[in-house]
Order: sequence, then structure tokens, then C-alpha cells
Amino acid sequence: MAAVTTERTPAPAPAPAAARARRRGRAPVWRWVILLIAGLYFLLPLYAALRFAGLKAFGTVFTSPGFVPSLWLSIRLAAVTWLISMVLMIPTTVYVHLRMPGMRRLLESVTILPIVIPPVVLIIGVLQVMPLSLRASVWMLGLEYVILAMPFAYRALDAGLRAIDVKTLTEASNSLGGGMFTTLWRVLLPNLRTAVLSATILIVAMVLGEFTMASLALKETFPVWIVLFDQLNANISVAASIFALVVTWLFLMLITVIATRQSRRTGGAEVTLFTVAPRETIGN
Amino acid sequence: MTANETTTAKAAAGTAGAGAAGGTRGGTSVSLRSLTRTFGATRALDEMSLDIAPGELVALLGPSGCGKTTALRIVAGFEFADSGEVLIDGRDVSGVPASRRDMGMVFQSYSLFPNMSALDNVAFGLRMRKVGGADRRKRAAELLEMVGLAPQAGQFPHQLSGGQQQRVALARALAVEPRVLLLDEPLSALDAKVRLQLREQIRNLQQRLGTTTLFVTHDQEEALSMADRVGVMRAGKLEQIAQPAELYARPATAFVAEFVGTMNRLPGELGDEGRSITVLGVTVPVQEGGPDSGPVDALVRPENLTVAPADGGNGIVTGLTFLGAVTRVAVRLSGDTEVAVDVSSAAALPMTPGTAVQVNLPPVPVLVAHHED
Repeated sequence: MAAVTTERTPAPAPAPAAARARRRGRAPVWRWVILLIAGLYFLLPLYAALRFAGLKAFGTVFTSPGFVPSLWLSIRLAAVTWLISMVLMIPTTVYVHLRMPGMRRLLESVTILPIVIPPVVLIIGVLQVMPLSLRASVWMLGLEYVILAMPFAYRALDAGLRAIDVKTLTEASNSLGGGMFTTLWRVLLPNLRTAVLSATILIVAMVLGEFTMASLALKETFPVWIVLFDQLNANISVAASIFALVVTWLFLMLITVIATRQSRRTGGAEVTLFTVAPRETIGN
Repeated sequence: MTANETTTAKAAAGTAGAGAAGGTRGGTSVSLRSLTRTFGATRALDEMSLDIAPGELVALLGPSGCGKTTALRIVAGFEFADSGEVLIDGRDVSGVPASRRDMGMVFQSYSLFPNMSALDNVAFGLRMRKVGGADRRKRAAELLEMVGLAPQAGQFPHQLSGGQQQRVALARALAVEPRVLLLDEPLSALDAKVRLQLREQIRNLQQRLGTTTLFVTHDQEEALSMADRVGVMRAGKLEQIAQPAELYARPATAFVAEFVGTMNRLPGELGDEGRSITVLGVTVPVQEGGPDSGPVDALVRPENLTVAPADGGNGIVTGLTFLGAVTRVAVRLSGDTEVAVDVSSAAALPMTPGTAVQVNLPPVPVLVAHHED
């Protein structure tokens, strides 16, 4: 019994300070290992693509037939999608937060539908019912993208609205003489800048990468051009993909830096894609 | 001094008192007429009426859910009554949106616009009134100076403490020279010291500017110390509205008596057709407003009882609470009734827990209420 008891008795706990020091010493190694694995996972394919394309391909990619028009089309579609999404979603989410908070769950469920329904189903359905004049127009794709962007736009804006006291800010503005438009423009939107930028990042990234709908609608957007051009010159096609990736990444970084700077100035949260961070005061 | 039907008379009485306390008065009158508001099965306001004289500060006091905030929000235009009227200077504003009511409001939660500096926050209402840039900034700076925050004009809300934010909110509400100032528990989020300072500041500014003010609070000390008149609400109705001293000394109902200050309940027997009551062996007159038959309790404040050590007395000391000049003595009377009696701290010295004491009631009118076990 004595032996058993001795075996089961836990070893004396190490001093907390020593344990902390050991944890501190151990943690960074694992962090670096995980970072390295994740880095390799993302960078190896890029390196392979870069190697396959070769540096020469980057010199000719900009002059390749169809590159500029397709990129320009994708940029215009991103702009239109963003504009329509914001005009529709900002007043809607603000209204739901203010007047129908009980409907937030329902709206969230509705906005998530485009993720559940495959884009193929969406575009085929739309092509069946859309008038011919609109079907021929590239802007139809913009309208479709608004639906695809809905989950991203709604979630980013909803997170932004949850981080501020919409009701009190609106009532404070109203009591000072601000009507609904003024309140939205001067009070709520400036405090939703981070959320709007988050939505912008997601919408632009989504539109610049969307292939299925554009392809089925027979519109030569940038991702469609990359796939089509791949059959003519795979090297240039891959170079264009890497170029698109870098440009998108730089764009996202730029938005993040601007948003973070503005956010720090007014005491808002750090910029993430779905930011929810209450503002804090410095005590009583 | 009972409930709704006598509020108009109270307004006149209150204003007289207010005038003495507040100096020069001006401003706007506010009348709430038979306001009723229901939320589902809950009746938040039940035929509530109230008159506020120009320049007066009225506090609405009551427990959570009594309807005081609903009343304030109806005056502000954020809620609408199912029936009844809100009259500002005699004009019904029930259908006027909040943005056109010309009222200033300070909210319970911090409500400064986070994207604007303190100065821009204060200037916001002036901007809405199309006041030119230079005038706007000048006026906003004056208001910030008035609340003692001129050096913080360029700071954003997140750089200000809670007390500073509420002072900026007060300056912002006053900058537009509102006809009525509405205060929705503006001090409840602050710590005791800051609350006390801000309380005095609000009262001084209100008296200086003579702005008619409706103040909602659940803190009786705040209400009694700041208001010209205090209205005690219960279940959507105004139980009593009176000047603080009157409310404390002559509560109209048992609820008011027990809600404002500390009140002892002493079982007694009604006599003389409900006009007198025998308590602690003494028969005293009964104040109007209570039941005139059945088992009743006399409601007596701790300072209205006397206590002294006495062998064979009617009670035993169970505890003492030192409150400075006064000590509150807890006594268990025969029949297991617990009472609190305030005596001067010097007089309390001979008393310790277990001391036999005699508790007496002076022959003054008391309020009675139905007996509670």
C-alpha cells in the first residue's frame, strides 16, 4: 500500500515562476514551427507557380490580348457590386438594429443563403428569368454579385453596428435636431468606417476571384480570362494569377492600414474582417 | 398631497419653492396629460399627469419598471403614448418628431459621438441649426468652459473619463439652448465621488440658465438633493409629487413613505373610527390617506422615535450603526418587531447590544398602512 501510495502521490508542483519561465521558453519554438508549416503551405504553391511561369512571362502579361479589358471589367464590377451592396445593406442593417432587433437572426439566416446555394444554381436560375436585354449586359453580373456579397457585407456591417450603441447615438443625434439621413451620414457611418472597409475588402476579393457565374454568363472577367488564356499560354496565365494575387493583397493591406489609422484616432477597434470590440473609456 | 389629480396645484406650490432656491426663472412649461402607454401586457404608464412650471427641475423617482423612463422618452419624442398629450408651453407636441422638439437630453449610457472631438460633439446641435462655423466653435468652447472642460476640447470621447463624457454630454445638450432639458439617469454609471460633483454642477447650471428640467432617477438621494419637486412613481402612476422636505415629512401613501428614506412599521390598533391609533401604549392621531379599519401598522421614521436605557423596558438593543453625529439603534420590541431609532451618538454611548431599552412614540400624527407580517 505504501508503495502504491507513493507512486500515486503527485510530484511537488514546480514553483509558479519557474513554470512560467519554462512555458515562456517553450512556447515560441512551437509558434515558429506552426508558422513555418502554415507559411510553407501557402508559399510553396506560389513558389511553384512563380517557377512555372518564369520571370519573362511577367514582362508580357500586361500586353497579352484581353488582359486589360478583363481586368478593367472585373474592377468595374467590383465597384458596382460594392456600391449597390452598401446602398442596400447599410440602411437595412441600421434599420434592423434600431427598429427590429428581433429580426436580426432572421436577416442573418437570409443573408447566408448565397453561401448555401451553389453559384451555378443561382446563375442558371437568373439566366432563365432575366429579360434578354439585361442578360446581355455585363451589369447583370454586378447584380448577381450583390447577392453573392450579401453574407460578407451583412456580417461585417452587423459586427460594426454591434460594436457601437446605435440606439443611443441615434437618439442623441435626433434630440440635437439631426434627422435620419443626417444621423446616418454624420454619426453612424463615420463610426462604421471600419466595418464598411471590412465589407469592401471582402466584396472586392470576392468579385476579383469569382469564376463560376461569370463563366456561365459568358462574360470575360479577369478570372475567366485567366482560365481561357491558360489554353493559349499557360505561363502568362499563371503570371497573371500571381499578379492578381499580389495586387489584391496590396489593396487589402492598404485598406487595413487606412482603417487602423482612423480607428486608432477615434478610439475604435483594431481592423479585422469581422470586428466586434466595445469602445472603452478611461474610467470614471 | 396625493396623486395625479392634484399635480397642477403642486406645480404652483413647487414653483414657489423653486423660486426661492433657484433665483431668476424663465423657460418653458411642460404638461403631461393622462399619458397611457402599454408594452404588450405591461402598462408602463397609466393615465399619468404632471405639470412642470417654467424653470423648474422635477425629478421622477421610482423603482425599476415604474414607468419613469417611459414618461421621459415620451416627452423626448422617442416613444409615443397610446393616449394622452404632451404640452410644451400649452402646445401639443405629441406628433412632433424628436428632432424637432427642441429638447436637450443627457443619456444614462455614454452617448458622445465617438468620431467627433469634445468640441465637435458640443457643436453638433448648433450645426444642425445651421449656425455658422466660427459662431458654432465659439459657443461650443463657451459651453465646454462652463462645464470645466475647455482643455479637453480637442480630445475624443475615448480619451475622456466617464464623468468628463457626461459633462460634455451636458454641455452638448445645453448648447442648443433647449426649451426643456431631459436627464435620463445621467449619473448612474459614475462612481460616488464623481456623481456627487456632477450632481452639484448640473443643479448649479440648471438654476443659472433657468432651463425647465425633467430628471429621471432611481436614486432618492439624488432626487431629493437636486429637484425642486420630486414625483414618486409606482406601476405607471404618480403616487405623489411634492417638494423634497414635504415628501419626506408627509408622505401621502405607505409606498411613498417606505420608498423615500427609512420607515419603521409598528403594529397598532385603530380607534375612534380610524382617526387614532394606539402604538407602543400611546394613542396618537392618524394622518389622512391610510385604511380606517382592519389590522394596521403605524409608519414612523427612525428619527421620530425615542429610545433610552431602561430596566424592564419594551425592547432590547440588537445592534448599533454609527452614522457620524447620529447613531442608528436597532431594537427588538416585545412581539419580535424590529425597529430602527436614530439618536445622537452621545446618547447612544450607554447602549450596547443586549441593553434593555424603552422605545417611545411622541404624540404626533402618523401614517398607517395595512398590516404586513
